[in-house]
Amino acid sequence: MFELNKTLTYRGFLLLREQMAEFLITLGNIGCDFYNTVKYILKLRINIKETIEQSKRFAFDSLPISLAIVGMTSIIIAMQLAPELAKQGGADYTGMLSALVMVRELAVVMSGFAIISMVGSSFASEIASMSVTEQISAMKVLKVDPIEYLIVPRFTAGVLFMPVIFIISATFGLICAGIVSNKCADLSLLNYITSMWHGLYVRDIFIAIFKSSVFGGTIALVSSSCGYATRGGAKEVGLATTKAVVWSFLAIAMWDFVFASVFYL
Amino acid sequence: MSLEVKNLVKTFDDKKILNNISFKIENGQTLGVIGFSGSGKSTLLKIISGILSLDSGEIIYPKDSEVAMAFQYSALFDFLNVYENIAFPLLERREFRGKYSKEEIDKIVAQKLKMVGLEGIEEKFPSELSGGMQKRVGFARAIVTNPNIILYDEPTAGLDPVTSTMIEDYIVQLKKDLNASCVVVTHQLSTIKRAVDYVIMLYQGDIVFKGSVYELLEGKNDYARQFVSASINGPMNIATK
Ligand SMILES: Nc1ncnc2c1ncn2[C@@H]1O[C@H](COP(=O)(O)OP(=O)(O)OP(=O)(O)O)[C@@H](O)[C@H]1O
Ligand SMILES: [Mg+2]
Repeated sequence: MFELNKTLTYRGFLLLREQMAEFLITLGNIGCDFYNTVKYILKLRINIKETIEQSKRFAFDSLPISLAIVGMTSIIIAMQLAPELAKQGGADYTGMLSALVMVRELAVVMSGFAIISMVGSSFASEIASMSVTEQISAMKVLKVDPIEYLIVPRFTAGVLFMPVIFIISATFGLICAGIVSNKCADLSLLNYITSMWHGLYVRDIFIAIFKSSVFGGTIALVSSSCGYATRGGAKEVGLATTKAVVWSFLAIAMWDFVFASVFYL
Repeated sequence: MSLEVKNLVKTFDDKKILNNISFKIENGQTLGVIGFSGSGKSTLLKIISGILSLDSGEIIYPKDSEVAMAFQYSALFDFLNVYENIAFPLLERREFRGKYSKEEIDKIVAQKLKMVGLEGIEEKFPSELSGGMQKRVGFARAIVTNPNIILYDEPTAGLDPVTSTMIEDYIVQLKKDLNASCVVVTHQLSTIKRAVDYVIMLYQGDIVFKGSVYELLEGKNDYARQFVSASINGPMNIATK
């Protein structure tokens, strides 16, 4: 006999509806936490000690992996680019192209990925486990505002320190690319550096710094927010971490698109 | 400070956990809350302390009262050591920030730790403590701000009888010192006898017994008698729902 609630389509529909609801709730939570965070910052309700603590963590935890990823990416790009350009007689453009690609896109995005995996995931899992073990409830009863104590410092750390990581990583990446061009395509370092300046625009650099700041704030906020909304137990802590990573990736891709459309179209 | 709960109703996913609960506690009185596991005792405390919202009803206490809660599972901050846990409200609460010097906080923390019978463990982290020790640190943290409404969620569960007695005596002592109203959720008759003035018993969302400790033990109420005598036979059935 035909039963509607047993058909695959119907169950698929239910699943879809559930996921849509989940998506909207997460979006709502992030929006709400963002609103509160900004409100607190404007009121200067910032816990300086925690902000310093989280900034240290943000910068030190993610710098090595960020350097590794950005360094590797630029080495690979230079490896592919330099010999090819040399063959076509455009070796002089290696530095310029590397600088353009690194500063405008790769260094920011790649260090964003590094930060999501190192810092974002740990923000989410630690806040989620605090939530499921009633530590956040305890904080509320002790009249310490968890938004002020947990989310605002992480957000501030992200906004302030992602640019620092970006600048260091990008510089490191360009140095790596120079060395590789020198080795793979016999391009002189001086030549590389001269050409590099042609690809570096002050405007690009400022946009990239601004973009990295937005990325840092987004990663910190999305991760903290996914953790903060967690209820349940160990399984939910795991799910919250996954969610934080996925949402941060998506958010960064989206921001990157927005930045490219606004500044480079 | 006095504390009044009026017609409190709370549902979780269509299931009524608390159904029209009312009681009043005067200054310096301690109310014991008993009832089966899952009868909503922790939920009641969480609503009074403001962690959970209520569906309808009222929680009334003076505006300037300081509410504290000792959690059933301690809820210590696992990223902070014992010292930082106990000092947490003094260091991090907005109105207290910068109000106490390091020496004053050291002194308060040492005093509270001594009170719960734990000295010299300031540097340890919660994960390095036994369950009973965590419980007592949670107790110390709850009372560090000199609250006048204190909610204890099974303060003596999992403690040895001697430590339990010590905690019970502190509940009584604190109540006197701070002129506090207290709510003690407990399964232990010893705690009820030593630390509690009168008792309510929850069953399926309702208060099925309300009276003094003497009346509870007297056994005139069927529910009370079943609970006190730990009998399977009686008006209450564990295997509900
Ligand atoms: N966050 C929640 N969501 C849904 N149901 C809940 C939630 N918290 C508690 N409950 C339900 O409410 C009921 C009361 O739980 P509560 O923790 O208050 O019991 P309790 O009386 O403290 O039990 P115990 O003596 O075991 O500590 C239980 O049936 C529980 O399943
Ligand atoms: Mg309980």
